[in-house]
Amino acid sequence: MIQQTITISNKLGLHARASAKLSKLAASFPCEVWLARGSRRINAKSIMGVMMLAAGLDAQVVLETSGEQEQEAMQAIADLFADKFGEGE
Amino acid sequence: MTIAIHGIGVGRSIAIGRAVVIVPSSAEVEHYFIEPAEVEDEIARVLRARDSAMQDAQLMLATLPKDAPSELPALLDVHMMLLQDEEIFSGVRYWIADRLYNAGWALSNQFERLARQFDEMEDPYLRERKADLEQVIERVISRLHVQQSQLESRQAAVRQSGDAQKSLSDDLEQDAPLVLTAHDLSPADMLHFRQSVFKGFVTDVGGKNSHTAIVARSMGIPAVVGARSASHLVHDDDWIVIDGDAGVILVNPPQMVIDEYRFRQRQDALDRSRLDRLLHTPAVTLDGQKVELLANIELPEDTQAALAAGAAGVGLFRRSEEHTSELQSH
Repeated sequence: MIQQTITISNKLGLHARASAKLSKLAASFPCEVWLARGSRRINAKSIMGVMMLAAGLDAQVVLETSGEQEQEAMQAIADLFADKFGEGE
Repeated sequence: MTIAIHGIGVGRSIAIGRAVVIVPSSAEVEHYFIEPAEVEDEIARVLRARDSAMQDAQLMLATLPKDAPSELPALLDVHMMLLQDEEIFSGVRYWIADRLYNAGWALSNQFERLARQFDEMEDPYLRERKADLEQVIERVISRLHVQQSQLESRQAAVRQSGDAQKSLSDDLEQDAPLVLTAHDLSPADMLHFRQSVFKGFVTDVGGKNSHTAIVARSMGIPAVVGARSASHLVHDDDWIVIDGDAGVILVNPPQMVIDEYRFRQRQDALDRSRLDRLLHTPAVTLDGQKVELLANIELPEDTQAALAAGAAGVGLFRRSEEHTSELQSH
């Protein structure tokens, strides 16, 4: 299991479309992918779960991957956050 | 935190139990308990309705006009992901398998659970996503209704078999008693719940003579009607005390208060059993004039309770449209 803390840098935060991209990417890996904010920890493969995190700009989330390809999943998802979900702002 | 909600009390007695909440937005959804043996079928119904809604969305996406705004395919994409979301449907599965809610009830209940969390969000954009979830759930519910016609005959059979309710009460007897909380109960709902496990009713609307009040009285259980926003303030599994005498419900009261009400419940039962001794005393006024004590009934089956109470006959036989049509169909 590996963990990484990520600060959300896109303007709209984890809104619907970003949540969709994130949960799709997470679902493409065989390992478990969890996202936590404060006391709330959700399955990142569920768009509902990701939206429920209600993580906006500058919110800190902890990304956790566990199992097969956990390293690759961590990298790909961290890149998506860094890329501001391809929104450019 | 304890909340006290005031309304109009029905019945003199007290009920203590865990809340089962029927949410306001689901008024047009049917609510009834299924038999344990039907759980698999009911879950399959939800999944079939979900797949059918999914096909609709895919078709819509494939036939979008070229000049459609770019947000539209993205939105449809989100809807399709919601339709396949495990978080949502594992919840629906729970309401069906563990609570024996019918498919429509399970779906609307799950929506309301999630909607409450959306309402608490600070971000106005995310808060609005509740509408997407609502549309998705409504699509599935409307697909259920399409399937419904094929099931109508079977459901009618279930509704009339007292066995279903009996096995349900056996199942739940080991757990806490249940009290029903709803915005309003349709006459159809009341018919479904009439012989059911509930020990008390709470509704947001309604007066002394609402369906809820009438049926609760005929069942001899307490209710509080006109309790305004009770169905919003009460959550599933909250502990509820219904004081039909005072017209008050207490939500999650401290143990001390529950114990006090339990004591009053026992006192009431004692008083009633004392009154029962007068059952076969002739109804005669002080000056020796004989009077006939009659009972008002709701359904023909109520005559048993009326006879048990020592009634000499039936006074009013109140029939609503629903009951009439039900009776005529037999």
